[in-house]
Amino acid sequence: MKDYILNYLNSNVTPGEAGNWVWALIYILVIFAGVSLAVIAMNWLERKILAHMQVRLGPMRVGPHGLLQPIADAIKLLIKEDIIPTNADKLVFWLAPLIVVLSAFTVYVVIPFGPTHAVTDMNIGLLFMLGVSSIGVLGIIMAGWASNSHYPLMGSLRSSAQMVSYEVAMGLAVISVVLMTSLNPTGTGTLSMIGIVQAQYSQSTWFLFGANGMNHLGWIPGIAGFVIFAIAMVAETNRAPFDLPEAESELVAGFHTEYSGFRWSLFFLAEYAAMIAVSSVATTLWLGGWLRPFPHWLSGPAWDLAFSFLPAVLFLVLAAICLVGVARMPKLPQLKLQTLGLAGFGAVLGIVGLLLLWTPVRVRVQDVFWFVAKVAVFMYLYIWYRGTFPRYRFDQLMKVGWKVMIPVGIAVVIVTAGLGLAQ
Amino acid sequence: MSATELIRKIFMVDLFKGMSVTFRYQDPKECCTEQYPLERPAVAERYRGLPHLNKNPETGETLCIACDLCALACPEKLIVVKSVRDEKTRKKVLTTWSVDLSRCMFCGLCEDACPTDSLELTQRFEYATYDRNHFVFDRDKLENGFAQTEYKA
Repeated sequence: MKDYILNYLNSNVTPGEAGNWVWALIYILVIFAGVSLAVIAMNWLERKILAHMQVRLGPMRVGPHGLLQPIADAIKLLIKEDIIPTNADKLVFWLAPLIVVLSAFTVYVVIPFGPTHAVTDMNIGLLFMLGVSSIGVLGIIMAGWASNSHYPLMGSLRSSAQMVSYEVAMGLAVISVVLMTSLNPTGTGTLSMIGIVQAQYSQSTWFLFGANGMNHLGWIPGIAGFVIFAIAMVAETNRAPFDLPEAESELVAGFHTEYSGFRWSLFFLAEYAAMIAVSSVATTLWLGGWLRPFPHWLSGPAWDLAFSFLPAVLFLVLAAICLVGVARMPKLPQLKLQTLGLAGFGAVLGIVGLLLLWTPVRVRVQDVFWFVAKVAVFMYLYIWYRGTFPRYRFDQLMKVGWKVMIPVGIAVVIVTAGLGLAQ
Repeated sequence: MSATELIRKIFMVDLFKGMSVTFRYQDPKECCTEQYPLERPAVAERYRGLPHLNKNPETGETLCIACDLCALACPEKLIVVKSVRDEKTRKKVLTTWSVDLSRCMFCGLCEDACPTDSLELTQRFEYATYDRNHFVFDRDKLENGFAQTEYKA
């Protein structure tokens, strides 16, 4: 048993491919915990960034700068009464949040955080991700239907219409990337998520700027496809400005109007998990996944070493900022707990930073760091959109989806194929 | 639609402009929120808040001559002034002065009517209490001040 676990450390593949169920389980648990933690962090970050964009302060009272607010919210949600409306369809009402959460989290099975840091590497990884993530619509329709109320039903109808129309554009954008992976001397493409990143490495490019096999115009379909995916993924996850299913001015809270407490928090968790999942897919397909910036141009052991120290440096700088905050905190008795909390937070960050300096950790974690950094950019974009754009009207949404995104998506596929042939 | 408009639309120039605005406003210096109990709000100079009955600073006696003009000026008839005639000096002596602030709209007409600068609306604005009856402010409270009601957690 011990050998079974330790032998995996010498292999160079994901636990799924190695057939090692212990490590697969460990990866699943780590990813689940990490994503849940990211959702908590995202909750705080979204409220703070959105508040600052709207010239407000956001949470300030629970912990220093409201750092403990998501935990307070989670406790509040967990101890709330669990209400199921009398006339609701009990079984479907109970199943709906489960399906949404499961579909949001199952996508993480194929997401590569590093060359070996994925639960498994399927040869149809991309299809699997598209298929599983669209099961989420089913959960939303079930939630709307089972609630036996007008607003949830309207919200879920809108949601399904929106998700179905934007999935087409998303699929077309994804196809252009799959075409680009085949632009190599052997001419074989791949649907495996790890394979797509490796294709970007071997072509020494990000697919955002087109494949290496295309001529100097390759960046046009690359960027166009990426923009289509970036818009479609916002619509897919029902986020502003495409948040019609939960348009509070029209539909109260949309499909989760009748949900409260823990069930509601499952929807919340699923929404953020899906956001992170879709951003991870965009990172994998267009932004080179786990690859660090310029792996070919700035190559060599010296650059490798320099880049591998960056995560530790980042954490240590964050810890230093926290400790400066502790020093600058006004010395008031009512702020004593807050100061202690900030010091503790800084200490944790510092310990993580020091841990990242340790060579075995440093070497294994740097891929994850670059992947997470790229995903974080998308998460910021989500918040930025929400702080900036007003909501689309439903006919505008459909018009953008069917009359703009899908034709452009088809054009991107055709141009990618044409440029690939013309090389 | 002209060519420039079309290009603006295709490259979503307006959307990027909006995004640059929200990005700039993220600067904490732009923040408008006041953290009220920790930061004191700046009250305008001519703000009309809690009434105050002034005393003569030298003698410590009230400046009020119980002329009843404030009570007459009050559009809501919230002010009650009671007095007795001092037989020796033939002057009115104030016995009661009270105002019901729960219905007061802080128009300041009483302050304008006062001939002796006795009645003055101050800039103090924190007089919330847990009891409706506490809004009837008597002479003692208005002359000597009162402790602010503490928030019961």
